[in-house]
Amino acid sequence: MEPIDLFELREHFNRSRILLCFNGPISRSLIEEIGNALKNYLQAENALPSAAMDVFSVYVELTQNIRHYAMARGYDELQGSATVVVARDESGRYLVQAGNMVEKADGEALLARIQELSRLDKAELKAAYKAQLRQPRDENAVSGAGLGLIDVARKSALPLSASLAPMDAQHLFFSLRATI
Amino acid sequence: MNDLNIPGTQSTPCVTALREQGLLTMAGDSYPENSFEFFRDVIAWIETFLRDDTGPLRLELRLVYMNTSSVKAMMDIFDLLEEAHTQGRPVQVDWLYDPRNERVLDLADEFREDCTFPFRIAPDGH
Repeated sequence: MEPIDLFELREHFNRSRILLCFNGPISRSLIEEIGNALKNYLQAENALPSAAMDVFSVYVELTQNIRHYAMARGYDELQGSATVVVARDESGRYLVQAGNMVEKADGEALLARIQELSRLDKAELKAAYKAQLRQPRDENAVSGAGLGLIDVARKSALPLSASLAPMDAQHLFFSLRATI
Repeated sequence: MNDLNIPGTQSTPCVTALREQGLLTMAGDSYPENSFEFFRDVIAWIETFLRDDTGPLRLELRLVYMNTSSVKAMMDIFDLLEEAHTQGRPVQVDWLYDPRNERVLDLADEFREDCTFPFRIAPDGH
């Protein structure tokens, strides 16, 4: 196995202004713990309370979506792994990115949904949010991602961007980025 | 009908409900993975109070961050209050927030848009 160059990894994190990253199986308590660390970082960085809350909120919605999806699909811990990165861009905005393995058809549907949402302005997103809030709860809904995704889109200063990467014959890696 | 006294955790608010006073309070963050499970007891308490008692009901909220599934559960609660209000029952919500964080105000305000009963949003401690 190729040795892991920790210094190179660190330089990469620093160059990309990564505040926090996580890769692996994610549990309910881990979401809370990482969320706590995130809150502390944001506080230490003197982020505005409203920006800190938006970043935290996007992080919670995206990671809980990944958990719900993995449970609905009956994935094991490893299949339900999440890759989460919180970084800052050149202009100081926060980037929250999260990715996970999905079934091919689900990935394509998700991508189409994100593209649909990215065409809506803030007022249209608010209307979509309120309409979704009034939808009856579907216990069998695969992702529950309806309301959460709209909420993330509302908090993102730029349209959401999403991508798919092939993993194996049935699976794709779905990746989503919000900018705050 | 019992009073409620649910201690808060990192991801769930502290909840108290006092039948004698017709008062239900919730304070803290709310982002449990399964919000319906968490809010079930709160919703059941409100339903029972509105059905079995005749006095006014007041909710005093100091909620800060809520995930979307908590928002959905909270909307169910406000729907119960709205229904009681249209039947002439005195109900009201007081939502107190830390003025340093305008997001809480936005959150409370979006709920208020859909309610016709008295819904006060005020900076905490003022």
